[in-house]
Amino acid sequence: MLSLRIAARFLRKSPVQSGLIAAGIAFGIGVQVFLGSLIISLQESLVDETIGSSPQVTVASAVEGESVTYTGALQQTLEGHPEVTTVVPTRAYSAIYTQGDGSAPLQVTGGDLQRLDTIYDLSGRVTAGEASLEAGEVMVGRDFAAEFGLEPGAALTLVRPDGTADEETVTAVVDFGAAAANRSLAFVAGPTAAEVLGQEPDEYTAVQLQVDDVFGSVAVADELAAEPALEGLTVSEWQAENEDLLGALQAQSSSSYTIQFFVLLAVALGIASTLAISAVQKTRQIGILKAMGMKDRGAGRIFFWQALVLGAGGAALGVLLGVVLILVFAQVGTTIALAPQWGFTGISFVVGVAVAVLSSIIPSRRTSRLDPIEVIQGG
Amino acid sequence: MGEPLLVAEDLGKTYGTEVKTVALQGVSFTLERGEFASIVGQSGSGKSTLLNLIGLLDTPTAGSVTLDGHDTRRLAANDRARLRNELLGFVFQFHHLLPEFSVLENVVMPGLIGGASIATLRARAVEVLGLLGLDGLEEKNANQLSGGQKQRVAIARALLNRPALVLADEPTGNLDTVNTTAVYDLFRTIHRELGTAFLIVTHDRAVAQRTDRILEVADGRLVQDVRDVYAAPAAPPASDGGDADAATPPPPASGGGDADAATPPPPASGGGDAIAPPPDASPDGGGDAAGELSAGGPDVGDEPERGGPAHV
Repeated sequence: MLSLRIAARFLRKSPVQSGLIAAGIAFGIGVQVFLGSLIISLQESLVDETIGSSPQVTVASAVEGESVTYTGALQQTLEGHPEVTTVVPTRAYSAIYTQGDGSAPLQVTGGDLQRLDTIYDLSGRVTAGEASLEAGEVMVGRDFAAEFGLEPGAALTLVRPDGTADEETVTAVVDFGAAAANRSLAFVAGPTAAEVLGQEPDEYTAVQLQVDDVFGSVAVADELAAEPALEGLTVSEWQAENEDLLGALQAQSSSSYTIQFFVLLAVALGIASTLAISAVQKTRQIGILKAMGMKDRGAGRIFFWQALVLGAGGAALGVLLGVVLILVFAQVGTTIALAPQWGFTGISFVVGVAVAVLSSIIPSRRTSRLDPIEVIQGG
Repeated sequence: MGEPLLVAEDLGKTYGTEVKTVALQGVSFTLERGEFASIVGQSGSGKSTLLNLIGLLDTPTAGSVTLDGHDTRRLAANDRARLRNELLGFVFQFHHLLPEFSVLENVVMPGLIGGASIATLRARAVEVLGLLGLDGLEEKNANQLSGGQKQRVAIARALLNRPALVLADEPTGNLDTVNTTAVYDLFRTIHRELGTAFLIVTHDRAVAQRTDRILEVADGRLVQDVRDVYAAPAAPPASDGGDADAATPPPPASGGGDADAATPPPPASGGGDAIAPPPDASPDGGGDAAGELSAGGPDVGDEPERGGPAHV
């Protein structure tokens, strides 16, 4: 380990140079960790906001307009799938609300409040009134309520597709987190919807599911579709219906990777150039070491060790810097749930060390090839 | 007689491919174990090139170097490096100490390169430093020493692995007269005490004349190979069997070297002057340095013999 001992001494005797390289790596990896964690947190938050409060897999009848009979076998199959976290049978229909000259279409979903909460978190999103979905009760979106001046306790007459009308009482105003949803969604009790749709108690429009890994929905949908209990039913999942969102997420990831790549490239070039300068500065020492019998490989390893030590030290500092930055940002008024992404942080550390080591290839080869006679003759 | 330490055979070095510059050609000579020889020549004559070829720092374009029985033509770079480490010690005009390391670390470096640990080398390094009058400087940084001290540390470093041959290229070129004398005396004493062979490149005839054998290089050729049989120590050095040879008048240079030596030297070289007694070759010249060494070896009283008439 003479090469390591020499490398460590070279580093220690050039504290400014060593510090600058380590700082370069630290800032690069710090930016990497911060940016990566930020983007991942942002995407998780976005996915959670968009997909987290809606069904990720939906089971419906293969024939449009027909009901799904929610049998025990179906329930068992759906609830028994290891990836499925929530199973909510729902009834859905369209209705129109009119008030004076104004009117608005509503997408009404009927179901059990407790079950609906597992997907839509209605109770947690109430901005006025109290969450309740007994027979004859309705919960509406914030924008819809504001547009028509509806408050909890107000009567709401909904005209059904068949022209019949029904009066419900507003129990709560809900903020769904998206303007479109706030304008057009309404929730009623399951039996109310069943009555509107003429469905039996075990008949539903669809069964809505949530899964553990939202991006694993395709596999879950495929697996469920193959189950005998789901014969005659179709299984759809959110990714097929949200290509734009996926595209946006992918674009965000790509831009993040691009930035990270160029940050790492800048770090690599910085390390390589500084190590190359260091190799030139140490030419005399390397030459004399070789004259004394140090082998080419041993001499070349000096800069490999330097890069490894600087890479590990700099990357560790960078991880610390990135995590501190993320934690500070998380504290300073952001609506996004920012958190250090430990898996990504670990990868960043390894990448930092690897980039540093790769950057040492040129100086190491140069040192390895150095002919001691060049130094001896140069005096 | 045992195997020669060094055999240079028809050694040549030509630089360039299109425009060829011949730096050295047809140099042949043999160096026995424990010899104390010098290479002289004018600047650009090829003497340093010769030393670099012998020291396996450079590769010849013609001829061969056989070192301790190893034909170095067939050796890979790593084997050449190993031979440099085990058999050779280098002292250059510039000390070439590693400024990042202490005196002790500099001295043990050849041993560390050879794979030994600093703990096992420390005692020997301290001993060698003591031999060179550098006691107490072990932990100092190489940069904190005077020029003469640095050169002595470089000599200590060259001696650490107990090399069979020390190659010194203008070792006193950067030193004043006092330090020049001291370094030369150290070489002589080490040679006597340890039986180490020395080959000293110098343009200073006064230094060369104090060695036992002078190889003169001019225009890339070995033009003269003279031995001062009276300058050799009266008693054999205290080391290996090769020393016995050193005590007897060495044989004439072998191979092509004989032919070169037989040719009349160019007028500028002045063969007779080359072996005239140096003005400062007094009995006191190396007395102090030699006096520090063990009493077992021949003492500095041998020195006057070198100052006496010398003969080819």
